[in-house]
Parts: sequence; C-alpha cells; structure tokens
Amino acid sequence: MADVRDIMELERPPTPEITKETILGSDKPKKKLFNAPKAPKRPEGMHREVFALLYNDTKDAPPLFPSDTCYKQKIDLTMRKPRKWTWMPFTNPARKDGAVFYHWRRPSDEPKEYPFAKFNKKLEIPSYTDAEYQQYLKDDQWTKEETDHLMDLAARFDLRFIIMEDRFDKEKFPIKRSVEDLKDRYFKVVGLLGKFNGDKKIYTYDADHEKRRKEQLKRLHERTTQQIEEEQFLLLELKKIEARKKERERKTQDLQKLISQADNQSETPKKTDKKIPKKKLANPSRPSRVDTSQHILQAIETAGIKFPDYKNSGVSLRSQRMKLPANVGQKKSKGIEQMLQDMGLELNPTPNEDICMHFNELRSDMVLLMELKSALASCEFELQSFRHQYEALNPGKTLTIPSQLLSVTENDNKQFNSGEIIDVVGSPGNPNT
Amino acid sequence: MSSGMLYGGDEIGALVFDPGHHSLRVGYAQEDTPKAEIPSVVGVAPGDPIKLESEAKPDDSNISSTPSSWKYYIDTIYLHTPRPNMELHSYMKDGMIENWEYFEKMMDYSYEKIIQSESHFHPVLFSESPWNQRQKREKLTEIMFEKYKVPAFYLVKNAALAAFANGRATALVIDSGATHTSAVPVLDGYVISNAVVKSPLGGDYLVLRAREMLESLGLDLTPSVLIANKEVVRDKDKPRYTKKAFSFDITNSWMTYMTKKTVQDFQQSVLQVSESPYDERVAASIPMVHHEFPTGYHQDFGSERFKLAEGLFDHAMLGAGYIAATSAGMCDVDIRPALYSSVVLTGGNSLVQGFSDRLSKDLSSRTPGSMRLKMIAANGTVERRFGAWVGGSILASIGTFQQMWMSMQEYQECGKAQIDRKCP
Repeated sequence: MADVRDIMELERPPTPEITKETILGSDKPKKKLFNAPKAPKRPEGMHREVFALLYNDTKDAPPLFPSDTCYKQKIDLTMRKPRKWTWMPFTNPARKDGAVFYHWRRPSDEPKEYPFAKFNKKLEIPSYTDAEYQQYLKDDQWTKEETDHLMDLAARFDLRFIIMEDRFDKEKFPIKRSVEDLKDRYFKVVGLLGKFNGDKKIYTYDADHEKRRKEQLKRLHERTTQQIEEEQFLLLELKKIEARKKERERKTQDLQKLISQADNQSETPKKTDKKIPKKKLANPSRPSRVDTSQHILQAIETAGIKFPDYKNSGVSLRSQRMKLPANVGQKKSKGIEQMLQDMGLELNPTPNEDICMHFNELRSDMVLLMELKSALASCEFELQSFRHQYEALNPGKTLTIPSQLLSVTENDNKQFNSGEIIDVVGSPGNPNT
Repeated sequence: MSSGMLYGGDEIGALVFDPGHHSLRVGYAQEDTPKAEIPSVVGVAPGDPIKLESEAKPDDSNISSTPSSWKYYIDTIYLHTPRPNMELHSYMKDGMIENWEYFEKMMDYSYEKIIQSESHFHPVLFSESPWNQRQKREKLTEIMFEKYKVPAFYLVKNAALAAFANGRATALVIDSGATHTSAVPVLDGYVISNAVVKSPLGGDYLVLRAREMLESLGLDLTPSVLIANKEVVRDKDKPRYTKKAFSFDITNSWMTYMTKKTVQDFQQSVLQVSESPYDERVAASIPMVHHEFPTGYHQDFGSERFKLAEGLFDHAMLGAGYIAATSAGMCDVDIRPALYSSVVLTGGNSLVQGFSDRLSKDLSSRTPGSMRLKMIAANGTVERRFGAWVGGSILASIGTFQQMWMSMQEYQECGKAQIDRKCP
C-alpha cells in the first residue's frame, strides 16, 4: 500500500515546509510508519518484491501493472560510506576435514558459523558389532559382508533404495538383489536391532506385498493402447447399463406409487364411510372437519419409513439395509433414537436377517406412532378450539364434549387405523410390497 | 550476511569444466555461460625453429618425452590455420578422456589463456559421462590434485548437471551430443547407471551422412581457409575460385577436420527433422533451403534435408525416442511416472531443427497411456548446448554444496580412491 499512498500523497505532514530536510529525507518518516507494524523486517538490500514472496503482509494487493518509478530503491542521500567486501577464508563445520575456502564477505559482519552448515542433515543408520550380528542378525540368504555393504550403501545414499540397488557391488556379490530384497533385509536388520535395544517403534516391511504391487503396477503401465481403449469402452458401456437400470427402477417406483395411491383411493372411501357416521354423530353440521381429518389420515397412511429395496447386483452389506433412507428427516431420526434409548435398545444392532427385518419394522412403526401422536394432538387442539369458539359465540353455555370422543374415541380410532395403515404402507419385510 | 547468502548461493571462485567430444567448456561457477568453448582437438606439429607461430602456445618440452620438441596448437584460431605436418588428435573416446597428455595440454591452455589465474586458487568441478570408468576418474583426480594443486575437486555426471540446469533433481535426461545420444535417468541427483541407454547416433553421424550425400552429388567441400578468392556464380553452376598456395603438404587429419567443419556448417543451417516419419511427398512440399558452400557454389536443398536428418530417428533400436523409452522401462516402476513427467533434452545435436518436436512425438507414442509426458527443452542455444556446464555452474555456487568438495586434505589423507565415495 505504501506505493499507492506515496502516489496519492496521503500521509504527508499536513503543512509541508519546503526545507532541505523535507526534500532530502521526506521518505524517512513515512518508511518508519509503514515498516513499524510489519513483524519480519526486510533485510537490507533485499528487493521488496522478493521479500513479499517470503513474507506476505496480506493487506498489500499486487500492483495491476508494472511501473518503473516506484520500485526502484530510493537513493540514500546521507552519503554514508559503503561497507567493504573482502575475499575471506572460511571453514565449513559441515566438513570433517576443516578445509578452508574463500568467499566474499563483509568484514563488518561478525564471523558466524557457516550459514549453510545447518542444512547438513544425516540419516541415522543403525550399526551393529560382530557379536551382535552373530547373535541376532544371521540370515541364510545374506552374508555378513553383504549386509555390511548394504548398510554402508544405506548411509551413503540416505536410504534411496533404488540408487542403492543400482550401485550394489555386483562383482563382489553375484547374487542378484532386487530393490525389495534390499529393503526387506534392511528393515529386518533395523527391526531386529531395534527389538533388542528396546525401541518402541519398529518398522516392518512386506516384501512380497511390494513385489505384487509392483508387478501389478507394471502390468497397468504396460497395457497397450488397444487394451486401454477397450477398457474405456467397457467402462462407458457399464455407465450406460447403470443409467438404464436406474431409469427402470425409477419407473417401477412411479408405478408402485400410482398403485398405492389407487389402493388408498379405493380404501379411503371405506374408511370415511366408517367414520362419517361417527363424526356425524358428533358434529353433523361441519363437513369441513371431515376433510381435515381425512387429510390427517392421508398423512398418516403415507407415514412410516420406506426402506429402499436392495436389489442391486453385487454384494452389499446387510447393515446397509438398516440405514435410514435419506428422506427421513432429522426430527424423525432423532425421535427414533430417543425412543430406542427409552426402550433400552441398541442404535445399531447386529444386522442378521431377522434383526434387520424386525428392526426396520420397529422403526417404521415408531415413525408411525410419532405421526399418529402428532395427528392426535392436532385433532385435540382443533376440538378444543371449536369448543372455545362455541363458547364465545354462545356465552353462558358450555359445550361438554363426551368423554368417549375426547381421547378414548380418538385412541380407538387410531388403533383401528394403525392396524390397517401398517398393512397399506407395509414394511420391507413384507413380501406383498 | 550478504544478500547472496540469503538466496542460497555462496560463490567460492570455483571453476567448471565440461569436457565433450565436440568441445571443452570452461568457465567460472555462478556465471551463466562458459568463458570459453575450446574444440576437443589438439594439433600437434614438430617443434619448428621458425618463430612465425610465436603467438601459439609455447611448448612444454620438459614434459614431452620425445627427443625433438613438439608444438601444440589449441583453440579455434590456431587449429584453423594449416601448418606443415600438423596432425590433429582428439583426446576423447566414448565420452571419456582417453589421451591424458593432450588433455593436460588442454588444461594448461585453459588455465593460462582462459582463466588467467593460478590453478591452486580455484576449486574445480568436472563433469563426466555417466559410464565413466573408475580408473579414469581416479586418474583425473590425481592429475588435478598433483599437477594443478587444486584446493578441492568434484566430479558429477553430466546428465545430473543437465537436469539441475533445467531445475530438476529427478529427470530422464536425453543428451544428444557429437558422438552419441544417451538417455540417462536421474533420481534425486543420482544417475541410475544400470538404466543408461546410449546409441551412436549423434552429430558426427549426421555429418558423416551429409558428407556422403554431398560427395555423391560431386560437390567441392574445400574449407574456406584454403580459398584465396572466389567469384559469384549462378545457382548450381560450377564454382570458380582460386586456392591458397602453401609451400607444404596439408595433413590428412587437418583436412578431414576442416571438411567436417564445412559439412557441419551445412548440417546446422540446412538439415531438419520432419515431424512425422519421413515421407517423400510431405518433404517435397516444404520450401527448399538455400545454402552456399565456401567455394561459392550454392543450391537449394529440398527433401534431402529431411532424408538426412531422418537418420537420427528411423532406426528401430537406436532412435532417440526408443532409447528414452527403453531407459525409462529399465527403471523401477515407482519412479517411471516421475521420469516421464520431466524429460530433459540437452546437447548440441538436439538443436537440429525439429528435433525436440519429433522426439516428443516419438516418445509420446511409446509412453504408457496412464502417464503424463512432459518434455523440458531449454529454448536458448547456449542453454541447450552447455546444459551440463550451466548445471555445474549452478551446483558449484550453491552454499550447501560447499561441504561436498573433495578437498586437498582429504586427498592427501585417503588418496585418489576416495573419489568414488565422495562423488557417487
């Protein structure tokens, strides 16, 4: 932002007095202002763009187009004497021989440890004594010399096994060793040594598995273009088949819906027939109520959980069948959970055939129960509100609702219905759906 | 710390040498081009009492064991002048240094005329071919420490350096040089020596074929140095020129070398690799290229350009695409994707027009379908020709590399055999 502010001349002192100071050192106070909040300070001589790559002060958007004037370092007009550079000797602590090399350095800088020495990282390769080898590490396939050579290579090439295999002394050790053989032996040695030294973390290496994996990978890479094309073709065909299958399933589902709707329609009149007389008894002048109750009934009829049929080809886990379908809302599933807990049942019982079926039925019934309960509540509420309406319209009079109509009749009603509804809705265990 | 160290570099005045069949590249590390490119040929003539060639390198008669002193002629200017009894010798063979005596002359010349500084001030980084022999590496180490008293020495495979120059530590390096083309897998800066594949099809092979073709056309390949004057002639007319007169016989080796230069000139300006396998009709439809020979003779070249260059690719077993795929196929399956995704092209011969396009096409037809192929070919001529040198220049000026050198102390303690452990 500093550049933009410079250009906009925003943070200038309000009344710029034209003195030598302001001309020569005008940028000084500004610099301080902007540099102060920055946590990592830009090293001297480093270009700002480079610094920005290392430490990003998020508030600074990159410039839209390059400009010549702003990015040049401001000339230091203080006429300081430049610091000297000299061709100086240095030693590198990363070297064991203490060789002396020369490079350019400022004598004013304090002689520090060679800055790149800290990058000298070596892997720790475990070592063993002759006795240890005889005791633990003997192997029919490997001689001690060969193992020694392996460990030496491991140290030299920092466990790059592919290079180690490449540089393995084939003249001295004529047995052909693959990368997996080397890895196997190495990790065995390390594991055994670790075990006897009481290390907790011991790596194991499955050479056979690795060999098979590589073999497979090789075969994968070595497929000819025809094979790849054929595979692509087959995959495409599979996709097509699956799409067709889905289409068919969708259609059967639609058909089933239609059938069940037709069933409902043929059955609902029966029910209403049964109910209307009852209701007529209670409230003959309000046919609209029948409608609402019918709505509720319909809602109830579709209640329960429809567990999808598992007719997909191939293998599936039976526990999959116990999964609640996605159309069961959060509220319902919470309710089921609650009920199951109340009953002291497991949330995920072992899914054998029977349990699976019954568990699903149980949950379906639970949902049904919940829906019925809520339907009952709404009916009662409606009844109460009508009573209040009646009392409001006819002051002084009280409507006594016959007790059998209140909850007993509703309960009866419900029980009566529920039996029927379960049949209509069905559950996945039922063969007739 | 200086700002240089901030960026990971630390220059210690090292020198980088990159010997090849065509030339030796010499220069300071941290620079972007070598200071000099010296032809890998040494002219040897019996020492003359005549002081005419006083500008030439003074002979080291104290080293040479022959009774009469010899004069050695090194670098383009001295080589291109015909001299009585001057025979030209190459000190390289199969990508390795063969003749140490001539090679030392070359080193003397480099220090004296190019570097112009004492050898004991500068650590030296040498490149070598991936198949360099142990005994040659030790010999070179010995010479550098014993004769030139370098403070430190290091040997790196040129393929690894070329990969570094292109910013990769893991790459499949295809190096097409003068005498051969090689495919070298490099993993984390280490060459996988068992999977190196090389073919003898390089720049020299092209020159040979071009020369055969030109000679069969009956063209005069007299080098320009021998021509005193020439006249302008019409297209395909017989050249009219007069030869310079010399009082001595010109040696065969010199004549061969100069003719090679002439043909090389022709090859570099005319030859082109066609994008797909050579097809007479396609080649005929591409505009012709005009070329004038030193004698003044000039003509258009059409399908020949493609026919000649096709030689680099039409071999079933030796084409560049084939050797690259073979080399990758010899590596562990786990690293193959990494190799295919950075195929580095380097070497002067890869600058033949259309080389990289054809190679990438050839290679992609051989790449397994599931792998991503990416070819990295530096655009600049210098970067491509001096790939290994540039890589060496970068490597020798990196701060963390300074612990890798084999120092004089180490040499004195452990001897030359140490080089095999120090420089894998």
